[in-house]
Amino acid sequence: MILSSIAILLLGPLLVGISMGLDRKITARLQNRRGPPLLQPFYDIGKLLSKQSLVLSDLQALFASFSLIFHIIAFALFAFGGNLLVIFFISSMGAIFLVLGAYSTPSPYSHLGANRELLAMLAYEPILFLAVIAIGMQGSFLVGEIVPGLLSHIPLILIALLPVLVILLEKSPFDVPTAHQELVTGPYVEYSGPYLALLELGHWYQLAFVYGMITLFIWGTGITSDIILKLVLAFILLFAAILIDNITARLTRKSMVAFMLTVGIGLIALNLLILYIIEVI
Amino acid sequence: MGLLDKIGTKSPWILHFDTGSCNGCDLEIWALLTPKYDVERFGGINRANPKQADILLITGPVTMRCEDRLRNLYEQVPEPKLVVACGNCASTGAPFHNCYNVCQGVDKVIPVDVYVPGCAACPEALIDGFVRALSLWEDKARRRESE
Repeated sequence: MILSSIAILLLGPLLVGISMGLDRKITARLQNRRGPPLLQPFYDIGKLLSKQSLVLSDLQALFASFSLIFHIIAFALFAFGGNLLVIFFISSMGAIFLVLGAYSTPSPYSHLGANRELLAMLAYEPILFLAVIAIGMQGSFLVGEIVPGLLSHIPLILIALLPVLVILLEKSPFDVPTAHQELVTGPYVEYSGPYLALLELGHWYQLAFVYGMITLFIWGTGITSDIILKLVLAFILLFAAILIDNITARLTRKSMVAFMLTVGIGLIALNLLILYIIEVI
Repeated sequence: MGLLDKIGTKSPWILHFDTGSCNGCDLEIWALLTPKYDVERFGGINRANPKQADILLITGPVTMRCEDRLRNLYEQVPEPKLVVACGNCASTGAPFHNCYNVCQGVDKVIPVDVYVPGCAACPEALIDGFVRALSLWEDKARRRESE
């Protein structure tokens, strides 16, 4: 049990890194390009770590490290079968420290990016929170005690998690916070070298938690079929997000929040209502 | 650090700056980023942000107004960094020789690593210059460590 937890903790971010490489490769193929090698995200991180570190203030560096630390703690709790609610709150702290880091610099692009990152959190966190509650209502909040059957009971919540994934992967139509061409890279704009690598790693751990939550929906009979089914489910959602990214244009921040708070919450409410009606009958 | 330096050559992020070019070379640079020449094969992406860039692709003869801005951008790029002067104007200021309002080339303002001639520099030549600049990367990184 402990061994498998440690394996998840180490392999999770590695798999997320490979999924980012896959994402760039698939996007390139959709645009009729050859695309970078599969391990490109790892090369990027390695290069960023070897660059000179230019920080504007100690505060900026501190916030970047805190963001990474909170995301690592959240994912470690997940790997060791902790409480999903606690994991969700700690993961949000990591996201908040990214925003604080962006606010700690005087750059207007950074501030606009931070404002928009807060709006994006306003859009995706209620969905993620309600999804966690819905999973908890099926039995237990503890990751280690979650029983098979989530996919057949709450399939609409899996669909509601897709736009959350789109926002977290910074993809159109919801790439409002980082908005290249418009805000350069939003909250990341004042970071360079090793500290950008820290934020990027934090982002990987955050995604690892969300992918982990998605994999809770499906269970196989044996350990091999279990792992394969989980990977396939995560890949299907990733591929859907990439497809959406390549066929849509960026929406305004207002329509992003409106979409998430109506369609997202609507899907979850509908799912719970259907479950309730079935139970009563 | 040897391994990290080697990895650095696999992920060159680009900053493209136009110092008063006629846009001929700029169009060719944009051709690099589009499907036909696709410089992302080498891991290069246009970051449009000096703080996250590794390679500066500079076009134009550097007008007097651009001089300070170019120097400012160069100073914001963290080490190790590479500069490629793209086209005849950026290399020598060619058609603007003895003009009163230009600096006659990028190397009058900041150190240049690779010169790519041509008016406009063709995409193949630009890729060649790009790859040649990358071969200087490890050298630069090692020199930085010894300092």
